[in-house]
Amino acid sequence: MNDASLVETHNQEAGEIARLLSYVVLLLASIGLFVSAGAIPPSRFEKLGAGAFPKIVFVGLAVVSAIAIIDAVRKIPRSAYGRFRSQTVAWARRRYLVFVCLGALTAYLLAIPVLGFSIASLIFLFGLQVILMPRTAKSIAIAAVIALAFSYGLNWLFAEVFTVFLPRGVI
Amino acid sequence: MADFLSGAAQIFTLVTLIYMLAGSVAGIVAAAIPGFTVTMAIVLTLPLTFTMDPLQGIAVMLSVYVGGYTGGLISAALLGIPGTPSSVATTFDAFPMARNGEPGRALSLGVWASFFGTVISTIVLIFAAPPLALFAVRLGPWEYFSLIVFALTIVASLVGSSAIRGLLAGLIGLAISTVGTDPIMGRPRFDFGIEMLQAGLPFLVVLIGIFAISQLVSEVEDARNVRSGNKLVTGAIDFQTWKVMKEVLMRPVNLLRSSIVGVLIGALPGAGGSIANLVAYDQAKRASKHPERFGTGEADGIVASEAGNSATAGGGLIPLIGLGIPGSAVDAILMASLMVHGISVGPRLILDNADLVYGMFIAMVVASFMMLIVSVLSMRLFLRVTEVPKWLIVPVVMTCCVVGTFALNNRVTDLYLLIFIGITGYTLRALDYSLAPLVLGVILGPIAETNLRRALMTDEDPTLFLTRPISLIFLIAALVSIVWAIRSHLKNPKKIERSSDAPSS
Repeated sequence: MNDASLVETHNQEAGEIARLLSYVVLLLASIGLFVSAGAIPPSRFEKLGAGAFPKIVFVGLAVVSAIAIIDAVRKIPRSAYGRFRSQTVAWARRRYLVFVCLGALTAYLLAIPVLGFSIASLIFLFGLQVILMPRTAKSIAIAAVIALAFSYGLNWLFAEVFTVFLPRGVI
Repeated sequence: MADFLSGAAQIFTLVTLIYMLAGSVAGIVAAAIPGFTVTMAIVLTLPLTFTMDPLQGIAVMLSVYVGGYTGGLISAALLGIPGTPSSVATTFDAFPMARNGEPGRALSLGVWASFFGTVISTIVLIFAAPPLALFAVRLGPWEYFSLIVFALTIVASLVGSSAIRGLLAGLIGLAISTVGTDPIMGRPRFDFGIEMLQAGLPFLVVLIGIFAISQLVSEVEDARNVRSGNKLVTGAIDFQTWKVMKEVLMRPVNLLRSSIVGVLIGALPGAGGSIANLVAYDQAKRASKHPERFGTGEADGIVASEAGNSATAGGGLIPLIGLGIPGSAVDAILMASLMVHGISVGPRLILDNADLVYGMFIAMVVASFMMLIVSVLSMRLFLRVTEVPKWLIVPVVMTCCVVGTFALNNRVTDLYLLIFIGITGYTLRALDYSLAPLVLGVILGPIAETNLRRALMTDEDPTLFLTRPISLIFLIAALVSIVWAIRSHLKNPKKIERSSDAPSS
């Protein structure tokens, strides 16, 4: 096995372990939610109460997750668990822009009720474009125009044409 | 005949045609923006039609409706994000085709399939409205529940690279649909005292978070590619109008089957286009000699999905015209618009206002031609989207998604939900879960639960699901579908690996 295929195999094994963890989370969550569905009081007016359908779903989810766990454990070699941490860190580093984007989106959505749609969008659009772009004077100028158009412009369009008022903020 | 001519005379006036053209453009543009649905576009159009004649107003709204079903394909093909819930299945093949350097062909296939789907559904509507409407109204909760069980077996076709993760995704979708107040008694469930969960997880927010946000952030996975200012899609910007029209017409069976599926699902009150595109896609894949090509840019997949969703436009009018029952939210708005003009909608509509009904049929056909003309003329402009670099389009489309999410209910809490659902969507995508079954679960969950509980409230005997003939037919169809899926999985155990560019189908 050459180096490239070894790296590929290690990556796949790390992926399998990550999926195994997701199955475990799903199994635990479905058991917890099944118990929680049992606490929903039955109805006097119907045979099935509000908790019956969720119970069916959570039993299905628990059974399929359990099968997935057994299947995954069989596939993963023991040595792979030791490498998982370093592989995950390397995976996350390769995709750092994804985390930057998700972080920026989270900050933007949290800022909208405070700053208002126009200001929050202006900062988000300009900031994220600058982070992602190959920085030249032209591209920065384009980013500024786009940020203005899709923040204040969009707000104006919705307010004046569609009479849908986007959040104005508290400041 | 006099009524038909009267209806035609009202439609073929210059003013009405201009209004319809504007409606068609508005529908296409609105649906092309992720987060904006056909329903929202029609709601925004409704007040503008109050001053028009009844038929003129309805004709404009039908143009928005027909245009909207096509517009959803633009972002589905170019961005891999379904512009509306009814274009989820379009992303499966149109997006890989666009990424393989044929964005023009992908769009053109969708537009022509939509056009023929609408025309076929209108023909069916004209001839079959009364009998189909009577059939649809005879279905009880038992039949609906069995139908949904059958629809859930579509998951088998959408599982992607792993059957078990596909199944898990479908179940996660069903689980998501149980959050919030229950659909029969309004009892709170699984809100854990968190206020924003009390209203449940709105379907559109889930769709935007799961598909749009996860797709957008996955576009920036390769930092070097983004920083080099690369375009979203590379390839010939050629719409190939007539060549693709022939290509679509060379698939008459698929076109007809998908349109009929669309009409039938549209005629049943329920989710309409959002289910029809997935069912039509599933049927096309099962009937294909090369099912393994589906998901990699197969023309049949695009034709099935787009013909299926567009045909629900005609199908949805069947119960509306035949019985005065709106089959979907859009039909309810159309009905409201007629009522604003003092026209009572019900079984007597076709007797009392025959010119209006015939006018609606004509308007459907005219609207589909309008959509075609607008599409052919404007697609070059839309295809320019493919030349926009990723660093610009990712933040801009994210902002559009945020606006769409907020405008849905004017609720700030929906924005917070979008964060969680977006992050969950990307996590599931990174873990190689297929996302389409999840969305299907969210759509079908409440319908399944409502009808199951309603059936058992009406009669506690569960054997009625098996003894009522139509219900039994649906259940047998579901069983056949599962057996077929298991057989094909055993026959082709090695699925084609999903390329990093393909959307999570």
